[in-house]
Amino acid sequence: MKYSLVLATLLSVASFAAQKTDTATTQVEPAPSHITVVCPTGSCTKPAEVQKVEVINPVEISKPKVEKKPAPKPQDDVLDAQHNLLISVVGQGVAPVNTSSPAQAYALAKRAAVADAYRLIAEKVKGVRIDGQDLIKNMMVKRSTVRTSVQAMVRNANIVETTFKEGLCEVEMEINLSRAQFPQ
Amino acid sequence: MRSRDGDQSFTRTISSIIFLLLYSSALFADEYIISYRYSVKNATLYNETLYVSKAMKKCKGKPYNPLILNPQKSENLKEILLANQEEFIEFLYKIGLSVKHQEKSLNGVNESSTTLTLPSKCFKVDFNDNFVKIAPLK
Repeated sequence: MKYSLVLATLLSVASFAAQKTDTATTQVEPAPSHITVVCPTGSCTKPAEVQKVEVINPVEISKPKVEKKPAPKPQDDVLDAQHNLLISVVGQGVAPVNTSSPAQAYALAKRAAVADAYRLIAEKVKGVRIDGQDLIKNMMVKRSTVRTSVQAMVRNANIVETTFKEGLCEVEMEINLSRAQFPQ
Repeated sequence: MRSRDGDQSFTRTISSIIFLLLYSSALFADEYIISYRYSVKNATLYNETLYVSKAMKKCKGKPYNPLILNPQKSENLKEILLANQEEFIEFLYKIGLSVKHQEKSLNGVNESSTTLTLPSKCFKVDFNDNFVKIAPLK
């Protein structure tokens, strides 16, 4: 009996010492900003009501609050005096059905793809005019029309890459714009 | 014995021959008006036209950015340009083309038409035995 009591006290002392060392080594995690507290059944109006408590770090309270403004993003698509603007587009074209040879099909599809690429460059640089018209009769759309048009002169556009696969030709074109090209 | 510049007619003949030889390249350099256009409808090439005409009066401007083509044993500029079509069209892309695009969407069905045009432009063309040099005037 004596020995059992002594053993029990030794074990409790050892476990206490182990707890102490654990608390000494573990790092304290930063307090979460929101803690959910479940009210005890007696104190809250409803049983098991959940409340949100915001925990504010005392160090943060002492500091004056400075509103962080988002850093201005560099505007890539604006042409300025220092930087040139490189515009890259991919135009697509299809070969006609009745061609005499694959080479002719390739040449014709490439020409159509270049025209598409030119159109895309003109759209990006100069802009698109859009007209829309809807005809509604007896609360129903009878006809819906959208017309877009682009008109521009494109100089110094370069073909970067051409791919031809399964009748579809893709042409990657680039144009380097500088402010000097646009007289003020 | 003949003096150094005694036979003046002989000297004149020689100098005129030298003058002609020197300016022979200028004599063979012609000015042409070229225009080119092609249309693409619904992403497929639809129509292509190339007009070549000799200039009726002298063009103004200086030649720049010349292109050298293989004459392919022809003296007709249009034939030479058609024989070297790929190089010539790449050359036109550099010079600049006018883009006109129209697209229509009717009840969700789309139709598009794009036309690339080289407006009538004066080119200086030098015909030689082995090559033809063509340069736009600016």
